[in-house]
Amino acid sequence: MHLHDLTIKKFNQGLVNKEFTALEMVQQLYKFIEKEDKKINSYLSLDKEAAYLQAEAADLAIAKGKGVGPLTGVPLAIKDNILIADQPATAASKMLENYTATYDATVIRKLRNEGAVFLGKTNMDEFAMGSSTENSAFGNTKNPHDSKLVPGGSSGGSAAAVAAHLAVASLGSDTGGSIRQPADFCQVVALKPTYGAVSRYGLIAMASSLDQIGPITKNVEDAATLFQAISGHDEKDATSSEVIYGDELSNHKIEKLKKMVIGLPKEYFDKGVDKEIIKKVKKVVKDLEGLGIKFKEISLPHTKYAISCYYIIMPAEVSANLARFDGIRYSPPEGVKAKNLADLYLKNRSKGFGKEVKRRIMLGTFVLSSGYYDAYYAKAQKVRSLIKQDFDQAFKDVDVILTPVSPTKPFKFKEKTKDPLSMYMTDVLTVPANLAGLPALSMPPGFQLIGQHWREADILNIGHYYEHVQNSS
Amino acid sequence: MAAPINKNTLKQLAELARLKLTTKESDEQLKDLKKILKYFEELQEVDTEGVEPMNGGTLLKNIFRDDSINLEQKAQSVDDTGRIIESFPETDKGYLKVPKIL
Repeated sequence: MHLHDLTIKKFNQGLVNKEFTALEMVQQLYKFIEKEDKKINSYLSLDKEAAYLQAEAADLAIAKGKGVGPLTGVPLAIKDNILIADQPATAASKMLENYTATYDATVIRKLRNEGAVFLGKTNMDEFAMGSSTENSAFGNTKNPHDSKLVPGGSSGGSAAAVAAHLAVASLGSDTGGSIRQPADFCQVVALKPTYGAVSRYGLIAMASSLDQIGPITKNVEDAATLFQAISGHDEKDATSSEVIYGDELSNHKIEKLKKMVIGLPKEYFDKGVDKEIIKKVKKVVKDLEGLGIKFKEISLPHTKYAISCYYIIMPAEVSANLARFDGIRYSPPEGVKAKNLADLYLKNRSKGFGKEVKRRIMLGTFVLSSGYYDAYYAKAQKVRSLIKQDFDQAFKDVDVILTPVSPTKPFKFKEKTKDPLSMYMTDVLTVPANLAGLPALSMPPGFQLIGQHWREADILNIGHYYEHVQNSS
Repeated sequence: MAAPINKNTLKQLAELARLKLTTKESDEQLKDLKKILKYFEELQEVDTEGVEPMNGGTLLKNIFRDDSINLEQKAQSVDDTGRIIESFPETDKGYLKVPKIL
């Protein structure tokens, strides 16, 4: 089977029908990675030995007649802020350049139990802070569709690896759009789950009231499969929920879909959004209407404040979460000589963190400082409530909300690095779902479906149906 | 709202955040932060009278568990702790050794 044709489902069918073994596919993928990833730089590290062992274990289980699960032997790429025991986890920062993870993140433990194979760790913006992967301390990742363009970010490596067929699927993390926007830029599918649906134990924390781990895949069905495998309650993450997801994620019933009403928030089709993108999304709306799904124009009036709200709350949480990086515990510093402990912190942090990370730590420290707390942080938390209430109100009339993913098409390297605010603006259509804790699916040709809390099934079913109709027409 | 950040506050913030910025870094940060904070002023036009602040991702309730020892987890945790200690640059009796504090 050709790597370009591989999806999770086709991989599974190939294994079951004995067209190939997991080991053969993993070997073939590594060959392809060695050749292709020189151009793209989607991976930061590979662990072939561990992957071969995992693949052999999957093949052995099959040979012994044990059941083949949907993820048995499936080769995945993992964002470098998610811990895999005994592998590097740099979060694309100099601060963690020499760090080796000592345990598996819960999502990794779950996937390991399902027999999945981890090919390697993917590039990202440093500590997941950025929208183009240009903030990686270890070089840019190129957009597989055009090497002059960024792959998006922060999970740029995970999206590029899937788009370039250097993995069957991948995991990323999404704090303000970090899996949906790169998936959009690389023309693949991504699901940001409901806040609390997936355990973050073993994810290097960025902004804890917003972070979620989610899948990046070649189609919606695969996103449902991977999401189902990683979701579920975990005692090690106090924010993880008891909600259990079942087969409703991948079994769409057409009659049920046709009864749905999809909302189109006028604020997301504003003049700030690229005209070509709006045109494409309107075509999607028309196609879905043609299938009998109803649409309704709605308003989410506080959308315009989402960027300010997000860029206050997120850095505040960043400044607290990144306080743990003293350059001592997670990787021994090299060549830093200090007079005393405070001096050591100062030197390590100044050397270890990149520009954007420092900017967000400073911004977060500022908005939390006495005298400014009420005007910035407390205000932003109240606006966050209003943004969530907008969605609550809208969901009284509609089942799902459809919007563009990104206000711009993939941009060129360095186009937005000089002006941080212009980079922040690229997140305008993705941050509201994080602020409100809602699930959101991003898929070609550039639209996003936002669902109600714990209703991943609604957005996956519509997405799957759309994809199915597109592929068969 | 007056521009709330200047060279002195920036220096103080850097100290609080345990960051030492070069002159070039300070100048750049000051310029960027001023611009970003200026943008945030739009929030002042939002009427938030009587609105409860949203403190977390979802409206979650407290989760309690029995105060019991999970032997399997304890074994795992001892194992993890051992590996974490092994990764320390310097240890003394299982503690992380750092330079003197004063």
